[in-house]
Amino acid sequence: MSLKRNILIRVSVVYLAMVVFAIAILGKMFYVQLIEKDKWKEAGENSISYKTIEPNRGNIYSAEGRLLAVSVPYYEIRMDMRSEAFTREVFDRNVDSLAIRLSRLFNDRHWTVYKRNLVKAREKGDRYYLVKRHVSYSQLQELRDFPIFRLGRYKGGTIFVQQNQRILPHRELAARTIGYVMQGDYGSVVGIEGAYDEDLSGIQGYRLMQKIPDGNWMPVSDRNEVEPCDGFDVVTTIDIDLQDVAENALLTQLMKHEADHGSVVVMEVKTGKVRAIANLGMNEEGVYTENFNYAIGESTEPGSTFKLASALSLLEDGLVEPDDKVDVGDGYIVYGNHRLEDSGDEGLGVITFQEAFEKSSNVGISKLIVENYEKRPSDFVDRLYRLGLNQKLGLEIKGEGAPDIKYTDSPLWSKISLPMMSIGYEVRQTPLQVLTFYNAIANNGEMVKPLFVEEVRYHGKVIRRYDKTVLNHKICSQETLEKIRPMLEGVVERGSAKNLRNSYYPIAGKTGTSQIADANHGYTKGRYQASFAGYFPSDDPRYSCIVVISSPSQSVYYGNLVAGPIFREITDRIYIQDLNMQKPGTHFLAENTGAPYSKSGYKRELESALKYLDIPYTSNEHESEWVKTMSTEESVVLRRSDISSLYVPDVKDMGARDAVFLLENLGLKTEINGRGTVRSQHPPAGTILRKGDRITLKMSITEG
Amino acid sequence: MNALKYIRGDRVIWTVIIILSVVSLLSVYSSTGSLAYTKVSGDTFYYLFRQFKYIILGLTVIILFQMIPYRIFSKLSIPFLLGAIVLLVITLIKGQDINEANRWLAIPGTSNTFQPSEFAKFALIMYLARVLGNNQNNLQDFKGVFLKLIGAISLVCILILPSNLSTAAIVFTVSFILLFIGRIPTRYLALFVGTGIAGLALFLLLSTAMSREGRITTWKNRIERYVTGKGDNFQADQAKVAIVRGGILPNGPGTSTQRMLLPHPYSDFIFAIIIEEYGSIIGGLLLIFMYLWLLFRTGLIVRRTKSTFGAFLAFGLSLGLVFQAFVNMGVAVGLLPVTGQTLPLVSMGGSSMLFTSMALGMILSISWGVEKEMAAQADDEAAEKENSEQVAAEQVAGQDLMEESVHEGDK
Repeated sequence: MSLKRNILIRVSVVYLAMVVFAIAILGKMFYVQLIEKDKWKEAGENSISYKTIEPNRGNIYSAEGRLLAVSVPYYEIRMDMRSEAFTREVFDRNVDSLAIRLSRLFNDRHWTVYKRNLVKAREKGDRYYLVKRHVSYSQLQELRDFPIFRLGRYKGGTIFVQQNQRILPHRELAARTIGYVMQGDYGSVVGIEGAYDEDLSGIQGYRLMQKIPDGNWMPVSDRNEVEPCDGFDVVTTIDIDLQDVAENALLTQLMKHEADHGSVVVMEVKTGKVRAIANLGMNEEGVYTENFNYAIGESTEPGSTFKLASALSLLEDGLVEPDDKVDVGDGYIVYGNHRLEDSGDEGLGVITFQEAFEKSSNVGISKLIVENYEKRPSDFVDRLYRLGLNQKLGLEIKGEGAPDIKYTDSPLWSKISLPMMSIGYEVRQTPLQVLTFYNAIANNGEMVKPLFVEEVRYHGKVIRRYDKTVLNHKICSQETLEKIRPMLEGVVERGSAKNLRNSYYPIAGKTGTSQIADANHGYTKGRYQASFAGYFPSDDPRYSCIVVISSPSQSVYYGNLVAGPIFREITDRIYIQDLNMQKPGTHFLAENTGAPYSKSGYKRELESALKYLDIPYTSNEHESEWVKTMSTEESVVLRRSDISSLYVPDVKDMGARDAVFLLENLGLKTEINGRGTVRSQHPPAGTILRKGDRITLKMSITEG
Repeated sequence: MNALKYIRGDRVIWTVIIILSVVSLLSVYSSTGSLAYTKVSGDTFYYLFRQFKYIILGLTVIILFQMIPYRIFSKLSIPFLLGAIVLLVITLIKGQDINEANRWLAIPGTSNTFQPSEFAKFALIMYLARVLGNNQNNLQDFKGVFLKLIGAISLVCILILPSNLSTAAIVFTVSFILLFIGRIPTRYLALFVGTGIAGLALFLLLSTAMSREGRITTWKNRIERYVTGKGDNFQADQAKVAIVRGGILPNGPGTSTQRMLLPHPYSDFIFAIIIEEYGSIIGGLLLIFMYLWLLFRTGLIVRRTKSTFGAFLAFGLSLGLVFQAFVNMGVAVGLLPVTGQTLPLVSMGGSSMLFTSMALGMILSISWGVEKEMAAQADDEAAEKENSEQVAAEQVAGQDLMEESVHEGDK
């Protein structure tokens, strides 16, 4: 046999062997396709799927950048005991130290218990063994360094599953307006969370999950197949300090008068920015909580605050001048079979239109309206429509109550409709709609839409900015404005809200006390709504505010007494904080006995404040950024305050804002009880600082 | 048509190369969907264009290599093998850790990596072909021939083994087959196999004793799972799901869903994806046929060539490619345990494409050399037989005569 032939035979043998190999592959392929078909088809359908990973939801911030709503990640620690490269040696060598460190970190079970469970899971070959639920981010960081865990998914079978929980750091404050999003069939979206859900929620990521025999789903690989994209942050217009004041003042009044519910809204006049919005209602246990957004959602008969619309109508149509006389006689008048009464015991006789407004005379206002519009009631309703009072504000937040002002051709229109509407009955408005109207008067006739959100940001970068939206450039003529504003001021100067008068800043506004109509019983005596709507300072309006309290106790139900104090507390607070508003020469402080008391805090800011107020201070501290204060006869002494990142600092006597800033910067989570200055802190100063720890501050003023 | 003059060698092999390149483009585009989303933010054309570039590069390399007279490869084999061994040593010492297998080496100055073991495989085949081709007359020489062969094979296998068991196994098998074709005496072959098994056993023993983690654990688990059929066979199971989904007839390009689930659908499991999209007749049967055809055409070169070196080199290289392809396919259908072998010419990847193209270029160079020899021979024969009456049977007789002349030449 020739060499050539020999080689060729060998090549042919090899070739045939390769053909056999190919046939084996094809055979197996067809075997899988035809014989094992059902098995793999089923496996393909059931065993694997893409699970969505929720992105980090964006935060909601107050106007000054404090967190109103934040998603806190929690982790579930699991182990795949049969991971490909997770060897017996690795497990045996490290299980003791892992158990000890787990026990030390969570401090809940003895390490032998941890070990026993781990060993049991390992023996069982558990592919998704639950080590611990609800692990915080800082704990997770430590866990990553633990024996076995540090080897990762492949060699250590480590699985960290993230879950997010939404928390409101300020708890009840503006809770309803911040809102929430509830998923599911009966889910609902509320407040800013709901209105800006699309921005906040981000883009879902995907992770490949594999079904394992015990029915659990387990990630296939170490990382996500498609990374989620975080949601945008939403910066609201809410001023959390003011919100705090509003919420507390409202709570105090509600408790005092055992009212059913109430709401307060504070708005910036020029821009319509809502600085505070508090809604409290009594729940079944008799506790007041933010359970419904009354300010936005509850449309009721406003009562006397609506007289502003009637007065404006009379003036704008040139029918009556403020000095024109009206006879209110003995304080009652009868329309059809309905008797209207003025509050107070005796009739005022002949008074001016302005006086009738200031004293909130039902008789006076309704009489003037009836006299002037009886023949053409549609003129009056048209005027109200032109003011936009019959239209929703078009808020982004869902659930705005619809206003109701019926037209003369309505089947419900009756003979007494005109006088009733003139004093705020047979019409419906939400507190926010009433406030928007009052704000327009304060804003020189320009009606702006209430603004809840200033900016949408992504990791600090501004994505969108919201400016004021003008609903009506001029709701009435300048002359009318100039006539009506003194009337609103008169309400506080000498009218129904005299109790709000003060010598520091002028307030303009209108009280409202209305009986609440019950669907079954008509107007029942004893169910009232007390309100006050207004703005201040009336000579240069900065803020408008409305307070509405529903069903206060029977003995005291007048708007000025129930709603007024809340208004006053809020305006006081704004006035004290806003130096621009204070006129030179006004001195709040009583007789100057030595240097005034000062909060501890950030040195540079304290110094500039003391300088501005011309208060003498001495400082021998040049290095420390944070100082403690002590007031002596002559001056405020600034002393060094030791802030290091190793120990919990002393924040006693600091304002909440400085204290929170300082503590959160050091990585602590603060929880504030009350307001004012810090009275005590837990853990105390000097404790070794552990990032992520919670610190509770008890403030000088606490409720209850 | 001018460009076609550069296309030398067997046109059928060229056809196979072109068909496989088209398959490569289609299936890489399909199977990189999820990779495109995780790596290059959804630019699904990124990998398509990259693969297209690799294919153009590959074709260029093929054309360059086929222009080189194949006898030069014999001389090149020694520096190539030495270079490959150096690279393997470097890789072993400081390889880049990709999927915990130290089998990749970064190319200095670029962001690219390549597997020196791929290069070593071809360099070793070149060297074996050289030694076998030069020593057909003294194959019984144990020291002078067999030790050289077994030394080179052992060195390469031992260097590849720690990081890549399956490539080492393929190199060992292909070498064994080449020795068999090269007429190494049976007793030496037995010794060779014995040495191989003993070496592997020693290595496993040593590494278990040293308790090295990582790759060895992976192999152990993979083989264990393959044998017992128990445990987490995620990749293999998902590949079977893909094959079942594919069915007999094509579903069309881009219809694969398993590409989202299978790890490395563009390399290790591309065969499963091809079946899922093109069915078992076109995607499976025809694709396997392409590789068998390639091997068959190389067999024809062996039959025609006068040079034993050319015969061994062509068949060795071709066998290396086809055997690797079948291992890849065998893994995809579940015939073999999971390994990281790519499907030559089809899988995504630059370095595998580069070395495969070098091999194909060499095969085509030999094929062209054979054609030239045949043409010259035919001229000579024709001149010689001009007076003869058998001119009509020239073609048929030419082959027979050529074989005889080779026979004589070898003697």
